Amino acid sequence: MSQFLVKEGVKNQIRKGEKLITTHCCYCGMQCGMHIRVNEKTNKVVGVEPRYDWVLTRGKMCPKGVTAYQTVDHPDRIKRPLIKKNGQFVESSWEEALDLIERKFKEIQSSCGKDAVGVYGGVSMTNEKCYLVGKYARVGLGTRYIDYNGRYCMSSAAGGFNKTLGMDRGSTLPWTELEHSDCFFMSGTNTAECHPTSIQWFWKAKDKGAKLIVADPRETPTARVADVHLDLLPGTDSALANGIMHLLIKHDYVDYQYVEERCNNFAELKEMTAKFTPEVTSKITGVSVEKILKAAHIFGKSPRSVVMFARGVEQQRKGVDNVSLYTSMALLRGQIGKFASGVATFTGQGNGQGGREHGQKADALPGYRKIAVPEHREYIAGVWGIKPEELPMEGVSAYEMFDLMKNKTIRGMHVICSNPVVSSPNINHVTEAMKELDFLVVNDFFLSETAEFADVVLPATTWAEDEGTTTNIEGRIIRIRKVVEPLGESKPDWEILKLIAERMGKGKHFQYNEPREIFDELRIASKGGKADYYGVTYEKIDELDGMFWPVPELDHQGTPTVFKEKFATDDGRANLAAIDWEEPAEVPSREFPLWLTTGRVVFHYLSGNQTRRVDFLMEQCPEPYIEIHPELGSAYQLENNERVKISTPRGEMTAPVRFTKAIRNDTLFVPYHWGKELSINQLTNPALDPISRMPEFKVCAVKLEKLAK
Amino acid sequence: MNKIMYLEFERCIGCRACQAACRECGDHDAKERNYVEYVDFTESRQTFPMLCMQCKDPACARVCPANAIQITDEGVVLSAMEEKCIGCRNCTFGCPFGIPKFDFESNKMYKCDMCYDRTKDDIAPMCASVCPSEAIRFIDFDEMQQLRRRRTQMNLVEGKKPQEGNKWEYVPEFFGVYTDSQR
Repeated sequence: MSQFLVKEGVKNQIRKGEKLITTHCCYCGMQCGMHIRVNEKTNKVVGVEPRYDWVLTRGKMCPKGVTAYQTVDHPDRIKRPLIKKNGQFVESSWEEALDLIERKFKEIQSSCGKDAVGVYGGVSMTNEKCYLVGKYARVGLGTRYIDYNGRYCMSSAAGGFNKTLGMDRGSTLPWTELEHSDCFFMSGTNTAECHPTSIQWFWKAKDKGAKLIVADPRETPTARVADVHLDLLPGTDSALANGIMHLLIKHDYVDYQYVEERCNNFAELKEMTAKFTPEVTSKITGVSVEKILKAAHIFGKSPRSVVMFARGVEQQRKGVDNVSLYTSMALLRGQIGKFASGVATFTGQGNGQGGREHGQKADALPGYRKIAVPEHREYIAGVWGIKPEELPMEGVSAYEMFDLMKNKTIRGMHVICSNPVVSSPNINHVTEAMKELDFLVVNDFFLSETAEFADVVLPATTWAEDEGTTTNIEGRIIRIRKVVEPLGESKPDWEILKLIAERMGKGKHFQYNEPREIFDELRIASKGGKADYYGVTYEKIDELDGMFWPVPELDHQGTPTVFKEKFATDDGRANLAAIDWEEPAEVPSREFPLWLTTGRVVFHYLSGNQTRRVDFLMEQCPEPYIEIHPELGSAYQLENNERVKISTPRGEMTAPVRFTKAIRNDTLFVPYHWGKELSINQLTNPALDPISRMPEFKVCAVKLEKLAK
Repeated sequence: MNKIMYLEFERCIGCRACQAACRECGDHDAKERNYVEYVDFTESRQTFPMLCMQCKDPACARVCPANAIQITDEGVVLSAMEEKCIGCRNCTFGCPFGIPKFDFESNKMYKCDMCYDRTKDDIAPMCASVCPSEAIRFIDFDEMQQLRRRRTQMNLVEGKKPQEGNKWEYVPEFFGVYTDSQR
């Protein structure tokens, strides 16, 4: 059981007969520090207590965090394995479930080849588990087809950072420095709702006079307090970034010494941005010339600035380009690798950072190694105790896996910690593909929409029932503690993977008794890679309030700020992006005349499988709605709260409209946390970014219709 | 104890973590005693939190015919005493901030008590502890005075005057004060 830890000198309320376990929230990348209250007699989770001493969040929590503990002992928890018999789930023993999985997986693999069983992972779980999912697919099952839900979340940020900076750490600086910044240029991020506890740092800076520039089609709670709100059209980010860079060059805000010493491609960038005059930029983006000028001057004059972005710019067909261009803005100003300045993306999932570093991606191996590079294959094969030629080659991205299910290339599937039937774009297609599968296994602790399709559902544990580490939004590796024993017969994912690997005859590669042993193997596997965890230990994490990777040596203290001297590219120089703007894959037409964009609300997390089961959160936001400008509502003769139909060539749904002037008058917004007929992802466009394979969730053309009375 | 509940409406992001956290306080029976509202959803996403002002001469206690609403030595206005409350609901009508609520099942009122079981030991109330944007703070009297002066100073530095769309920045903050510091 976990050791009990409350820092000295910090006052916390500890009630009689209870103890506090120090851990972090299970939800977004902020990974807010919290204590879980446990009744000492019953050993049950009874509540939450703020963790005032955690450096990044200082006791702050959002409503999801406050209520997170309620999912642990929830009545909906799956406590025993479920096997589908005659269309109904029947509780069974682990023995029976594993027998069936072994028989089916072996049957499929012997008749259709090893690659006929695929693995679909997730990153709302610890580094240990994420690492093991990659190894399980390649060693345990021997399949090339593995990918994960981070493909819908962080892949464009990763692609853009790798291209420009040579390495993908979500933030180049520790966020405790943010209060000393002078300007934040935020694009496509509603951080007040999606990462609420980050807001305290922006206010700390704002209180000292820092400026906030927010680009978003909606006047979100983040944009509401901005000094300049650039209300751009969905899908025009690269034009905006080019337009700002045009002005940075024109008004001599470029740090020429930095650019000369540390960046490539400046001449190309200058040539490309030349045509993006404020007038041209304004025409493309729909933002007024005055606002663009104001934003460029504020950003240009600020001695220390941070460029930040999130899914709004990344979930586009040109997501990697958008990220590269925004990153170039920070490079032109000479900001990356310095105090209180740099570039950062808001990591969506709890372990979105760590989960993408250790080989859950179709083309990646632990430590951010590449599966296509022979030396990388050789090293990892060595760590795993197999021959390099036994290691499968690169697979395909998450959304493309559904195409392979549809055409029967993939016949068996193991979904771990994910709910793709809600979170994928164009889910009507995804649902059909899932139905084509011969055999589906899902690990989850609630019966998600995806699990409903499963042949076997294996009861996994919640985050509070297992040890491990995660890597937060800053790139800081932190510890998740085991608070209580697993409920019922549920088992942590790593144990489930180990049991299946044993059944597949690969048990000798999965001899773990606790997560720490997996972490120790991960440390070796990541050693020498870009995301180097070699010097990280559980003890050092406690001692140092988390450790920033890379940590290449055992006595290394971590790297809070990266790229101080050089970038991680081959020549050590950053590659500025010279990229033209291209319009989104789908633009409004006569039939589909409006823009549609999607996003989160503060009360729900991702596909809502957890938060839709928490009473408080459902009371606040029970169903999706359509945000619409009253001017547009008037044009369609709608009343506030009236139900309407919206449709794209891929699907349709009905939902009530909510009038608000805090959105462009040509754009609709719908949150995406619901499944089936309540899912906006029936409508979204699966156009993929050519590099990151990230679907274009954030932009498509839509038709709005009044329902017949 | 000489601490202030300090509210800064402009900072509110409408996440309602304060409400969720209010339910978590030991004495609160899983019922929230504060609220968060949109100023006007059609106009903007501006929200504001509201909690008990811990008035010096509280209307809720004044209008209580049973003298059920007690005030602690520190000036915290408590929920109605169970044995005294007659369930008349006068307090819910009397309070100008709409704070006291009525539990129809057990026929008694309940209200914000500033998490008395925490604050009596100098630990911040749940709402102020979790508020992500520090729209609700539990701070020293001196710190509050400093913050108010700082606000004026920043406005002067920037030469700001209230305009349409930013008038919230000029609304004075509300606060409840612990009057007694004998402890």
